[in-house]
Amino acid sequence: MAAATASAREPPPPPRQTRLDALAEHVGESFLFIAATAGGMGVLLGRLVKRLFPPRVDKTELWRNLYKMSVKSLPIVVVTALFTGAIMVIQAAPIVKRYGAEGYLGWGAGFGTLREIAPLLTALMISGRVGANNTAELGTMVVTEQVDALRALAIDPLSFLILPRLISITVTLFMMTLYADILALIGAALTGQGLLTVSPRSFYNGLVSGLLGFGDVANGLFKSFVFGLVIALSSCHFGLATTGGAPGVGRSVTATVVASAAGVFIIDYLLSFILG
Amino acid sequence: MTNPAHDSSTTPGLEGDFPERDEGFAARAGATALDFLRAGLELYSVFVRTLYYVFRGKREKGALVQQMYEMGNRSVFFVSITMGFIGMILVYQSGLQLRRVIPDFTMLGATYLELLVRDLGPSIASLILATRVGAGIAAEIGSMVVTEQVDALRMCAADPIDFLVAPRFLASLIMTLMLVVWASTVAFFAGAVTAHVFYDLSFRTFFSTQLLDAGDVITGLTKCVAYGAAIPIVSGYCGLSTFGGSEGVGWATTRAVVNSSLAIIILNFFISGAAFLIF
Repeated sequence: MAAATASAREPPPPPRQTRLDALAEHVGESFLFIAATAGGMGVLLGRLVKRLFPPRVDKTELWRNLYKMSVKSLPIVVVTALFTGAIMVIQAAPIVKRYGAEGYLGWGAGFGTLREIAPLLTALMISGRVGANNTAELGTMVVTEQVDALRALAIDPLSFLILPRLISITVTLFMMTLYADILALIGAALTGQGLLTVSPRSFYNGLVSGLLGFGDVANGLFKSFVFGLVIALSSCHFGLATTGGAPGVGRSVTATVVASAAGVFIIDYLLSFILG
Repeated sequence: MTNPAHDSSTTPGLEGDFPERDEGFAARAGATALDFLRAGLELYSVFVRTLYYVFRGKREKGALVQQMYEMGNRSVFFVSITMGFIGMILVYQSGLQLRRVIPDFTMLGATYLELLVRDLGPSIASLILATRVGAGIAAEIGSMVVTEQVDALRMCAADPIDFLVAPRFLASLIMTLMLVVWASTVAFFAGAVTAHVFYDLSFRTFFSTQLLDAGDVITGLTKCVAYGAAIPIVSGYCGLSTFGGSEGVGWATTRAVVNSSLAIIILNFFISGAAFLIF
């Protein structure tokens, strides 16, 4: 009893960093980072939407970005889509052989490709090629103080730099998903003929025989529009938030691709349920 | 042996704002083909040198553990979240697909497990890893190149491949395998919960290994090893061929992500095709 009162009168010992504290600090820090990222992207979106009514976009910058992002990404999208279609058929092949359901090959490979795989993989590739590149460019402009120079010249960086990029990335991903849908089906049909001797005609018949509707294609395309928005927002946000020279640009690009990938998968999950 | 860091003009896939020269189609196609050939040869040289240093090089114990921590432990959260969502989406979508033909869900779990082990687990998890790990490797090595730390290494007669790429190669081989196994487990359980909630499928029916055979496991493990080797080689090559300040670091990172993802998709095509023909 006496010892207890004695110890109560002593000044409290300095707080010691335990393992639990470190864990709590780490979790809290990660949570705050995620919250700050989501909040930053939300604020950015709000400011950009405000500049859409009436539209204040730099036209030349928009065309330049559209060319650089869309046309220059075509080779990657073509390769990815052709191989993806082929892989879908190779994966479906043992099941098709097991049940002898050659007529269903087109539907089996087409359903997953159009609804899920083509939008998702195209989004991943475009996020790597276009989103990361965009962050690198914006980050470089920020660390070399070019964005501050724009502000000093009374040019609004959001409507001159960011809005054209946002529109271009969204449009790019939407159009690339259209291409990827078609090319993946071509790749799938060719592989089906080579591997399972299913003629492209019966592949096509299996695709359009009533089980697969316009709704499935529209589903994938709508998703790709939302993915484009997510990728554009995260890449512009991290680009503008770059600090600390060349290593800082590298860190921003890494953060962008990670945030884009996580955002795309989480949004995909939510959209699948809402649209399904 | 050509050195990627000094041969930056031959790197394909880079475009700045320079005006394009007015050349004929044949000239441009030929230049592109030559660029690809040179890039392929350099990539091969990096691969061979990495393999050499993995077996013959100086061992730095701390470096390997640090890289494994950097790649593995720090990716666990990201990979678990994304693969958990992927598992839920896949089971939900295949349930929708199945419901249009046969409203019989008893084989859903077994088919899902087979596909997950054979392809989806390794490939999707590695695509996700390629973005994080590949971008990290290229950003780190690229920053070292533009701040002339790599040149300093060469001055000390140390091959940057030995010091920078070889430990990352080993770490990626080990951690990709572990993360893929973990991520596939997460995806499978997420799928089981989804099937239980949306299609009233009991866990007992879903947890079925009747379609899984040795061929599927071997294919899945082969893919893990191939992807785990491809990501650090491609990203290390992209990082070493960085030039031109902070802008160059950004470009190198971009190229690392894109090329690693492409490498995974192309490797997947060949391994899947070979596995289908063998098993």
